[in-house]
Amino acid sequence: MDATTPAAGTSAPPPGLDTMNVTVKIKRYDPEKDARAYWAEYRLDVRPTDRVLDVLNQIKWEMDGSLSYRRSCAHGVCGSDAMLINGVNRLACKLLVRDLGSSIAVEPIRGLEVVKDLIVDMEPFFDSYKSVLPYFVNDDPEPARERLQSPEDREIFDESTKCILCAACTTSCPVFWTNGNYVGPAAIVNAHRFIFDSRDQATDERLAALNQPSGLWRCRTAYNCTEACPRDIPITKQIEEVKRALLWRQA
Amino acid sequence: MYRGREGQWAFVLHRLSGVALALFLLLHVIDISLVMFGPEGPFNAFLAFYHQWPFRVGLVLVMAAVVYHAFNGLRIILMDFTEWGVKYQGALWYGALGATTAVGIPVLWKIVPEILGIA
Repeated sequence: MDATTPAAGTSAPPPGLDTMNVTVKIKRYDPEKDARAYWAEYRLDVRPTDRVLDVLNQIKWEMDGSLSYRRSCAHGVCGSDAMLINGVNRLACKLLVRDLGSSIAVEPIRGLEVVKDLIVDMEPFFDSYKSVLPYFVNDDPEPARERLQSPEDREIFDESTKCILCAACTTSCPVFWTNGNYVGPAAIVNAHRFIFDSRDQATDERLAALNQPSGLWRCRTAYNCTEACPRDIPITKQIEEVKRALLWRQA
Repeated sequence: MYRGREGQWAFVLHRLSGVALALFLLLHVIDISLVMFGPEGPFNAFLAFYHQWPFRVGLVLVMAAVVYHAFNGLRIILMDFTEWGVKYQGALWYGALGATTAVGIPVLWKIVPEILGIA
């Protein structure tokens, strides 16, 4: 088969709505058949208001059922469908065709091993996440009601609570591409969530976990994570806050 | 190629200029150390070799690398120690590029005539 597979057929446009013809290039790889990844090309009619995920669904359901990708909630909450779309990491379910034009290129996110097509092995990503103790630690006797916190103290880590672990940030990081052991922005954001929580007591353990050769200090402030985050978390700002916390604690 | 923005290109340029300067420094230490072989040694021959015009062009690049690395280094210090630096990192990068260009003009003024052999 040729490197670029021609469209197997085009689907009927939805009635009563403007459609546009788009060319979708997808970097595909099946470990049981392909020696290496190749670009497959599909031409189809879609609505400008379709999301990239709708386009992928249309390809899978109507043109080529062998196309593989992850999706679950399809509304930007579950974090399953982070992909490298037209050169940047985005959630396929939060990106509209009209914002991309008629030429769309979709690749798996980088730095993690491709399992099939757009599916990557997320285990190294989750291992890094687990390494920073991403859960609340407080061994004091529990109060009769909830552990109280002032709105000001809650505000400090408000934005790091928004992470959905889609890996768009970590896999946009040039340091992570070349060093897969780098703990990565997502893990640091989730460490930030608890380090700056006034009720938490495991700050020392978290900072120690981040103060490793492939830890926090590998960040070179390229800001790709901040640009890629589908939840608009100011990731680089938070990484710098954790760096300062560690620095002043050591000083 | 990942379509990163200012921060990515600031990082790439910083890394490239840093590696280039480390290699240049190594070369520089080696050729200067040749002076220990005395006036009859290879030092003068190397010096003449380095005075050819392609190395003058290289000198412009070395200056650009030094100045960019210095100004972007200041940007990185601001980002590491202030919230303000992170907020305005894009503008600060353009500032670093502008400052590099500003310092580069007198460098070119000095070196371009030497490259053209009219100095």
